[in-house]
Amino acid sequence: MIELRGLTVAFGRTVAVNDLTLDIDQGVCGVFGQNGSGKSTLLRCVAGLLRPARGLIAIDGDPVNLSDEAFRRQVGFAGHEPGLYRRLTVMENLRLFGSLYGVGATRIDEVVANLDLARFSDTRVEALSAGTRRRAAVARALLHEPRILLLDEPYANVDEDAAELISSAVRPWRSNGRVALIATHGAKKVKAFANAGLILRDGRSVMHGRYDRPDTADASR
Amino acid sequence: MIGREREAGFVGKTTVLIRKDMRVESRGRETLLPMMMFAFTVTLLLAFTLPGGPIGGQAMRLPMGTLPASDVLAGFLWVTVLFAGLIGAARTFEVEREDGALEALLLVPMDRSGLFIAKALVNLTYVVALQLVLVPTFSLLFDLSLARHMGSILAVVALVDIGFVIVATTFAALAARTRSRELLLPILSLPALVPIFIAAVELTSAIFAGEPTGAVAGTGWFGVLIAFDVIFGIASTITFEFVLD
Repeated sequence: MIELRGLTVAFGRTVAVNDLTLDIDQGVCGVFGQNGSGKSTLLRCVAGLLRPARGLIAIDGDPVNLSDEAFRRQVGFAGHEPGLYRRLTVMENLRLFGSLYGVGATRIDEVVANLDLARFSDTRVEALSAGTRRRAAVARALLHEPRILLLDEPYANVDEDAAELISSAVRPWRSNGRVALIATHGAKKVKAFANAGLILRDGRSVMHGRYDRPDTADASR
Repeated sequence: MIGREREAGFVGKTTVLIRKDMRVESRGRETLLPMMMFAFTVTLLLAFTLPGGPIGGQAMRLPMGTLPASDVLAGFLWVTVLFAGLIGAARTFEVEREDGALEALLLVPMDRSGLFIAKALVNLTYVVALQLVLVPTFSLLFDLSLARHMGSILAVVALVDIGFVIVATTFAALAARTRSRELLLPILSLPALVPIFIAAVELTSAIFAGEPTGAVAGTGWFGVLIAFDVIFGIASTITFEFVLD
């Protein structure tokens, strides 16, 4: 579904992703690795927010292109920053993005309920704790049920109960021809429900395989 | 898809973005307030510096020689608008930069020209609000009788404001994803804004000097303003997609 071919991203002399070639099939895929291993860079590239220095990223054969409205419609991304307007309330933010994606009140209410955000609906984002802000960011990213869900450290600053809520909200991406890439240090939380895993070190893949098909797991590099 | 409703069109999404910016500003007051404070301070300083009284045809003695007072006041008015406006323009994408909302917005499936139009209209609202206070204040402090020339002054202000916000919004977008955006915006936009502000000063000076509306309208400067607005308006709307990338 997602094809990476010789993907290389550099910031000055620092190579963040180094000649990465792999295929990511549908389902939930955990992206693991230490700080600076290239997890966030990989997710930003797949979202089209970062242009690689070399290589290609394609979704179902079509190169990633942020200028393409149809591509943008398929992507839900929550990066390190929540991507919300801090002076607006949680509900105002979700309604705003709901309007822009054509998502109705029913779906917004469903996401709010799934992530237990109802208590914070009328709270401005700037007044939320870091963990609740994280949950609101995840809510914003999966609001329009994107085919490609990209979550960067969704469990950061999140307690166990809230982490379980996030995992439950992402579980539907295990099937129905969708893919979710979850970059995290909390490998245990993702492994509990992910279909596949990818371990990065120094911008290279050291392990990539599926949990639901253990015989295919191999060291791709 | 659960809860999917009929997606808003271009106008609907643009309106949603305008409403969002207005709501954010009404809660933070981080754009209009500094613009107003700057304009108020400059006007107050000028009121103490420049001689008062009716200025029609009057001359002002300045260190570099004698100038018609209408020229001096028109220059000061537009310099105040220019710099106050740039204070506002510098904040065009600040609400998006906070907490990474710009990236979330870049991923939204809408024509990017809608985002440009929304931002430009919001900036236009700020500049117009500024001038609603500034122009009458100038008129009062320097005893300018603008009532007879209301049509001309409104036409000049409208054309200059439109051109100004088009350029300022475009370059604010260009600078938004850079680290030195506060530095980059004036460096990029000021040279582009020179023609429009020269035209603004020339036309406003003629109005302040009490020249009849027909004579003001007959100058080529109106043509400069219209051409500037049309060319930059079309170019900015088309290229905004690439500017943001």
